[in-house]
Amino acid sequence: MSAGPPVAFYVHVPFCLSICPYCDFAVVAGRAARRDAGRVAAFVAAVRTELDLRADGLDRAYPAGRPALQSVYLGGGTPSLLAPAEVAGLLDHVARRFGIAAAAEITLEVNPGRADRGDLRGFHAAGIDRLSLGVQSLHAGDLRALGRRHTPSDVVDAVSEARAAGFGSVNMDLLYDVPGQSLASWRSTLDAALALEPEHVSAYALSLDDPDAEGLTGPFGDHLPLRRGARAWRDRARGSQDQDRAAEQYEAASDRLAGAGLRRYELSNWARPEHESRHDLAYWHRDPVEALGPGAHAFDGDSVRRWNAAPLEPYLAALSPSDGRPAGLPPGGEERLDPDEARAEAAILGLRLPEGLDQALLVDPALEPGLRWGLATGLLVDSQGRLRLTPRGRLLGSELFMRLLPAPAADPGGQARRGTATLIAAEIMI
Amino acid sequence: MATIPQARLRNFSIIAHVDHGKSTLADRLLELTHTIDARQMTSQVLDSMDLEREKGITIKARAVRLEYPAGDGLTYGLNLIDTPGHVDFSYEVSRSLQACEGALLVVDAAQGIEAQTLANVHLALAQDLVIVPVINKIDLPSAQPALVMEELENVLAIPREEVILVSAKEGTNVGAVLEAIVARIPPPKGDPDAPLRGLIFDSHYDAYKGVIAYVRLAEGSLRAHEHVRLMASGAQSEILELGVFRPQLVPVQRLGPGDVGYVATGLKSVRDCQVGDTLTSASGPASAPLPGYQPAKQLVFAGIYPMRGEDYGELRDALEKLHLNDASISFLPESSVALGFGFRCGFLGLLHMEIIQERLEREFALDLIASAPSVEYVVTLTNGRGEVHVDNPARLPAPGDIESIAEPWVRASVVTPSQYIGTLIELATGRRGTFGSMEYLDAQRVLLTFELPLAEIIVDFYDQLKSRSQGYASLDYESIGYRPGALVKLDVLVAGEPVDALSLIVHRDRAQADGRALVEKLKELIPRQMFEVPVQATVGSNVIARETIRAMRKNVLAKCYGGDITRKRKLLEKQKEGKQRMKRVGSVEIPQEAFLAVLRTGGAG
Ligand SMILES: Nc1nc2c(ncn2[C@@H]2O[C@H](COP(=O)(O)OP(=O)(O)O)[C@@H](O)[C@H]2O)c(=O)[nH]1
Ligand code: SF4
Ligand SMILES: [Mg+2]
Repeated sequence: MSAGPPVAFYVHVPFCLSICPYCDFAVVAGRAARRDAGRVAAFVAAVRTELDLRADGLDRAYPAGRPALQSVYLGGGTPSLLAPAEVAGLLDHVARRFGIAAAAEITLEVNPGRADRGDLRGFHAAGIDRLSLGVQSLHAGDLRALGRRHTPSDVVDAVSEARAAGFGSVNMDLLYDVPGQSLASWRSTLDAALALEPEHVSAYALSLDDPDAEGLTGPFGDHLPLRRGARAWRDRARGSQDQDRAAEQYEAASDRLAGAGLRRYELSNWARPEHESRHDLAYWHRDPVEALGPGAHAFDGDSVRRWNAAPLEPYLAALSPSDGRPAGLPPGGEERLDPDEARAEAAILGLRLPEGLDQALLVDPALEPGLRWGLATGLLVDSQGRLRLTPRGRLLGSELFMRLLPAPAADPGGQARRGTATLIAAEIMI
Repeated sequence: MATIPQARLRNFSIIAHVDHGKSTLADRLLELTHTIDARQMTSQVLDSMDLEREKGITIKARAVRLEYPAGDGLTYGLNLIDTPGHVDFSYEVSRSLQACEGALLVVDAAQGIEAQTLANVHLALAQDLVIVPVINKIDLPSAQPALVMEELENVLAIPREEVILVSAKEGTNVGAVLEAIVARIPPPKGDPDAPLRGLIFDSHYDAYKGVIAYVRLAEGSLRAHEHVRLMASGAQSEILELGVFRPQLVPVQRLGPGDVGYVATGLKSVRDCQVGDTLTSASGPASAPLPGYQPAKQLVFAGIYPMRGEDYGELRDALEKLHLNDASISFLPESSVALGFGFRCGFLGLLHMEIIQERLEREFALDLIASAPSVEYVVTLTNGRGEVHVDNPARLPAPGDIESIAEPWVRASVVTPSQYIGTLIELATGRRGTFGSMEYLDAQRVLLTFELPLAEIIVDFYDQLKSRSQGYASLDYESIGYRPGALVKLDVLVAGEPVDALSLIVHRDRAQADGRALVEKLKELIPRQMFEVPVQATVGSNVIARETIRAMRKNVLAKCYGGDITRKRKLLEKQKEGKQRMKRVGSVEIPQEAFLAVLRTGGAG
């Protein structure tokens, strides 16, 4: 692990036509997301200013030059709400200031709805070569329960448009442990998804945490406060989640996806050979990643994770000041991991991959007790010099992961830690 | 500060049911007498503990000296002793009343007489105090002062002409209260030339001045730098300072009979200067001490344990410090197989227990775990081997050694609108209570009395009473001694291991139902573990209820990219912290709440 210039690049596009009640991303909807309201264009201008400021910083830090990017990822939000020309302009700008490797993976997140999937042909022409579809389910009832705007047939249409536009690498995000979703309906979602022959599937258990309670919101936080309706929805939905059902659904996904020739290359991700998400692998390998846009997180490859605050207007105000002041970096914060935390984090991310960890880590005094516990409880196995999760370990990973983390500092609720993050954030602001 | 002659001193308390406006009236009296200027005025001045303000209840009695220029042109010294309003603290109330010649009885104009109104009036009358009746909150649209006057007349024989109608909130007619205090409450008796006798009613420790004793002088007088002696402890010292409460400590040169004030004793240990001791002069001591106080009677007992064994010493120090401030708690070391080393603590009631636990956690930053509360049982052993007192169910002797068990009973007074009579009688009889009497306070409201085992009301009787009466019924109770009962010990086994801290003593006829309710509750409260965990309730060797906590199936984070990495790591850290706050019993991690599960099983409620 060592700090270095970014090899992957993320842009967070914070607009959606409406906001799903379970969504934890920095997103605005309604008028602001409509093209005519001018926020989308303002955002595109601001993010390009941020791009220059970040690139200037990296130029100073790495005067000898930087390697070209292996991945560019436009996520959100609904980046497919951008016009192809805006996407093209942005990619061009990235290429100028960062360099994009010839074989780089260039992904766009797309919502399948007719109104928000945008002009897929245009995106392909703009240089996008991989699409990630926010499918979530192919069961109309699930989609309604989740507050999604699209229908299963929109998904079918989106995939055929994608193929017609020339996309050879398509991911589908799917959700399980959804209120009201049975094991059978999850199986039918998996089957219907596989019938569309995606190259990549991410299957996530719906997680309903509380960004406010976690202290992630506020002027420097990377999350937006929960709206009252979303909070009520989550409280209700949490009541109908069920770990037994979720376990069975995960096992069903493992069976079905493997049966269709997709390999699990991370706990929640499956892909055909050569279609693993290089962008996500950069996160899991703890490679340096640059990130722009509200709520986006960048990582230096070693110990510093920096984020932009989630609220859109302060972001725009910092990057496109109206009063003639020069543009500055948006508000945000950063976190510095100590070496124990960094090692634990690397171990946790590593265990989520099929390669697991080098058995030599058993001599690391910080990790050893946790790893031995995992071996003793059958969550881990030691084979051919690697420590890997067992099938049971894949379901109960957190029990092991929390044991790999250093003992929490003696500050109940992590107050002190949050305090520092905010403080740093305040300094960055100034 | 000018010395006020004894004939112009008035010592009084304010007594009331909780929320009827004691603290608000005290604020107005302080304001009107310029004891506190408007700038310093916060509301509920005398409630200085954070907890008191948060919970909106006065927990500790407090004294303050007001100087009042009365209508007759003379300035009077009024010593106001604020009292707690909750049933748990009636001991504190009676102690305060002992320092007074009169009491303001505050009754809410919209609520009327409540259970503690009656209890407190009876305490005041038992000490021959003059009662000044005040009906408060007459500004409320729902105020019915005429009806409340009728109640006072019918139930307490208080003539309506004596009643003063006020709004403490708006300050209406509060002046009349001050005049009534002067006119109706007699000055303290006591010969200023007799040998000094002063009753210690409270104390605190000050790092510079040593133990500060709060005294009320019965006879004699006291001057700065006098040598004093405490009659029970025998400790002697030269006093450094004396003064009165305004409400902060203000030095004076002399205290005389009837005065209420403080004495900086210079003594280093509060043990030398216990509440209830008599202060006298070292040179010319009195021949006999004042009657003093009955020691506080703890009714509820629970084990208090540090979450982390290494905090035991800190917990002991904290309990000692709190005890200096609140003599009504008791604590003795005990150990539990499940919880390690801790203390068996005695409390005046459940609220008191909750408050002490909160103070320990806040003021001393301790992480604690409390076992279920219990009353004290008297067990008669077989073969004439005498009696043992048991306040910890886990320590109940083996069935073969028990001849009989007796438990404490109380007489409960409940004041309620008449439409709830049926449901409240049902509640009390469902808790092994017997109905005593019913008396109409006015056309709509009645006073019910019951006799009940104390164990049946410390749990959630009060909550049940409130919920069955939509909040309208009020409760007070007093001990009426021990009675034999068909009681058995209910034990709990988690993953086959007995958890002594979960043992309970219950009535034989209810063992089955209570055992069932308890294991069901534990099943809810103990999180699923990596393996299946049976939870059993047993009486002797019989398993009377059993539940199984299924093994955990899934606990793994779904997404993990970008910003999620930090967030998810923190969620894991939180999970880890949560786990560390659980108590390991054998291989099972049991959260703190589980140890209080018995509190909420609800019994017949
Ligand atoms: N409307 C009205 N409310 C009052 C009056 N006196 C007290 N209160 C309110 O009644 C509540 C309880 O008062 P408090 O003085 O704390 O009662 P305590 O428990 O007897 O000390 C508070 O919310 C007060 O603001 C009054 O004269 N009129
Ligand atoms: S579409 Fe995705 S990003 Fe937009 S609100 Fe829904 S979950 Fe959030
Ligand atoms: Mg009060």
